[in-house]
This record gives sequence, structure tokens and C-alpha cells, in this order.
Amino acid sequence: MSESPPAAVKFQEVGTTLGEYEVLRAVTALVPKGRQTVIIGPNGAGKSTLIHCLLGQIPYLGRVVFDPPKPKVGYVPQRPDFDRFLPLSAREFLALSLARRPIWLGLAKGARTKIKATLAKVAAEDLAGKPLGSLSGGETQRILLAAALLKEPDLLILDEPATGVDVYGERLLCELLEGFKDSFTVLMVSHDLATAKAHGDWVICLNRRVVAEGEPEAIFRPEILAATFGLHQGLLFNSAAKD
Amino acid sequence: MAGLETLYEGLGFFYEPLFMRRAMVALFLLSLAVSGAGVLAVSRRLAFFPDAIGHSSLAGLALGLLVGLDPKVATLLFGLVLGLMIVFLAKRIKLSADVSLALVFSGAVALGLALVSRDPVASGGLARWFMGDVLTTSDQEIAAILALDLVAALVFLLFYNQLILSAVFPAGAYGRVFLDYLFGAFLAAVSILAVQAVGALLATALLVTPAATARALAVTGRAFFWLALTFSLVAGQLGLWISYQPGVNASAGATIVLTGLVFLILASLYRRYRDRPKKVNAN
Repeated sequence: MSESPPAAVKFQEVGTTLGEYEVLRAVTALVPKGRQTVIIGPNGAGKSTLIHCLLGQIPYLGRVVFDPPKPKVGYVPQRPDFDRFLPLSAREFLALSLARRPIWLGLAKGARTKIKATLAKVAAEDLAGKPLGSLSGGETQRILLAAALLKEPDLLILDEPATGVDVYGERLLCELLEGFKDSFTVLMVSHDLATAKAHGDWVICLNRRVVAEGEPEAIFRPEILAATFGLHQGLLFNSAAKD
Repeated sequence: MAGLETLYEGLGFFYEPLFMRRAMVALFLLSLAVSGAGVLAVSRRLAFFPDAIGHSSLAGLALGLLVGLDPKVATLLFGLVLGLMIVFLAKRIKLSADVSLALVFSGAVALGLALVSRDPVASGGLARWFMGDVLTTSDQEIAAILALDLVAALVFLLFYNQLILSAVFPAGAYGRVFLDYLFGAFLAAVSILAVQAVGALLATALLVTPAATARALAVTGRAFFWLALTFSLVAGQLGLWISYQPGVNASAGATIVLTGLVFLILASLYRRYRDRPKKVNAN
């Protein structure tokens, strides 16, 4: 592997346990600045857990170092659980973190315009007035992505953005990810190798510890995928990795 | 307080006795703070909170006597400590409680007390504790409620969005521990002052029932807030009026609780009707 690129995030010996079970062991890896990093690994590899460590949502050993030290982070979780009975429109939800003016006074014109423009970016203008609880999984993720973009993040974190998304949403996601290039750092979690291959320009293979990390060409090789996902899967990837 | 005297005079149109006019004012002012606090409490699944605080104020009272503090101050302080403690526990051990629990609980006790209160011998200390008595509200208490309204206005103006955000989408508001404790203290203060003015049961019902009714009807967060305020005001004043009618002559607090519950039941039925499966014409 060549010299390490400048990092937006550095994981240094990050470890955490769930009861007696060691979920992550001494994870040392980096997320290059301004690029799109994909964390791949099988189910239960600790991918989301590593994100939770990064966000400071769970206690962990080791260190997570950021550059800039306090980045603005946009985070789109895998399966957000909303209270489906809470009256709140998608537009109001976005205003919650954007506007100082309380939503019971209605939305200011500026906030309304900004929200509309951001919703247009994620092809969700028609969802603005809908109750949050009535949205499908894919629609919810688009709203959450809009919320993350409204923060004008330095670092955008997407946890399994391709799961529970319809085909239309998947194409949209691809276009969006292309559009994000060179504007901010993206960190994505995926168990889907196609997404990783298509969009990642840095890949971290995780299976409770870091199996490998580097440019996609260095990573998408049968022996590394086998070590990450297990031997039989690795044999399957043998042909997939060639094309 | 000359302002209040003038106000009472103006309200003479509604009720003859002064205590009824006072109760009107107290309930009106209380609704302003309590309905929004209720919306936040229900959104954050803390419907049990006012109940817990309300019932615990007895302990606060006893402690106050022990230490020689004014009972009102003692219960307020004790309530604040408990409120912060509840937030602490909820963050450590994921405590949760359902809105329905609070409603069924307050509804059952209210019904019992409404029946008891019709019998002058049976009603006594028990009723006074649970119901407080909105009809004995003093001007001093009204002034305290007015102060509460000001605090509530500040909280609703400055922190409403963030409090709702951390309720709907905790991941988006992570790390704002300060807000959780601020809200715990605020809700405790609202609950205790409401309990002192109108009793533990009515305080809970005023907090939770209008918010639950509004939640059944509203589609937007804005409507949620204003509908809760409307139901709180209407149930309070209508309940007070009904309780005063010669044919009824029941405890004002219990009647207000029951009036609020009737609104909740009607709203839930309407929602069922609105959300019923509909036939869509295929084209």
C-alpha cells in the first residue's frame, strides 16, 4: 500500500464490547478527506457499531481523531424508529434542526425555501407536507438525507443507504453520491459489494477487526474478500471480482 | 393585586361566586403552560411524569415539615430533584411508560372521586389530596401560575424544536444532555405548580389528556400544539361550568378530567373513522 492519504477521521485501536461479546477489536483505520469511504463486511461485523463509536453514542476504548477537530456531521441511520403517531410533517421535521423559530409558530419563509431546495436535491419535494409517520422506508431515508444535507456537513455518514430502498431510490442514491464527490467526506456502511465497488474510492474491510483497507483495486481481490466474508463467500467473489 | 380585582369583576357575567371566577382565571392561565408541556411530555413518552411527580409531592410535603420549610417551596424543590432524577434514570436504564397507562389511571380515579364527591360525608381528605381544589385557588397561587406561564413561554420559544427533535429522532439530537435535564426540571415545575393549584389528578389530566386528544387529530406539529392548547382551555372551562350546574354539583376537578376524557374518546373515534380502509376506484 502506498502512503496514507490525509484523513478526515482516524480510528486508533478502537474496541468495544456488548456484554461479554467483543464487537470490535483494536480497529485502526482511516477515512480519507474529501473522498468516499465504504466500510464493508458481513452481518454482525460491527460496521454500524464502529459508526456509533465515531458518533460518540456508545463507550469505547481507543481514540477517534477528527480533522477538523469538531466536524459538522450529517448522519443517516439504517433503521430510524420514528413514533409513527406523532403529528409532524416532513417539512416540519427538517425545520426542527434548521430553524430557531419554534414550529408551532409556523415556518419562516427563508427556512421554507431552503427546505424546498434541499428536498428537490433528494427528489422528495412532494413529501414536504406528508406526515413523517406515513412515509415508506425509502422515503424516510431521503428525508433523513435531506436533514443531513441541511447541516452542510463536513462529514456525511450513511449507514446501509441501499437497504430498504426501491430501485428508483437506488439510482437516485448513485446520482447523489456522484454529486457529493469533492464537496465533503462521505463514509458509508454497506454489506453490498456492488455499492462499495461503484462508489467507494477507499474501502475498509471489517469483520470485528480490520481485515484490510485501501483503494478498491487493492481490496476487491478474492483472498481479501474471503478473509472478510468467510471462505465460501470468497470463492463466489472470485468471479465477481474479475469484472 | 388591582389587576386581578378588575378581572374578577369583569368575569361576574359568568359566575356569581368569586371563587368560581378565580377558578376560571387559574384554569385559563394553567392551560397556557400545561398544554404545551403536555405535548412535549407525550412526544417524549413521559406521560407518566406528572403523575409520578404529583404523587410524590406528599413526600416533599413531609420532608418540608421535617426541615421546617414552607410546604409549597418544599414540594417544588423536592419535585425538581425528582424530575432530574427521573431523567437520569431514563437515560441509564431505558425506562418507558405508556400514555394509555396515565390516562386509564387518571380516568379510573377521577370517576371514583366524581361519585364520592357527590356524597358530602365520603368526600374528605382523600378527595382534597387527589383533586386539590381548583375552587380554593388563592391569588397567590394565580400569581405563581402566571410566573410559570412566563417560564413556559421561554421554553416553548427557545427550545421547542430541539425538544421535539430529540423525541422524534434521538440520533439527530445526540449529545444534548443539557436539554433533557432542562426539560425534566421544567416539567417537574409545571407538574408541581399544577398539583398545588388543582391537585395531582387534575394536573395529570390537564397535561396529558389534551395532548393525547390533539395527537389523535393533528397531522402537523403546529396543529398538535394549538389543538392541545384549545382542548385544554375548552375542557377546563366547560368542565368547570358543568360541575357548577345545579343538577350535577360534582367536584370541579373530577368533572374537568371527565370532560377532557370525553373529548379524547370522541377524537379517537373520529380518527378511526377518518383512517378507515376505503375503497379506491380502479381506473
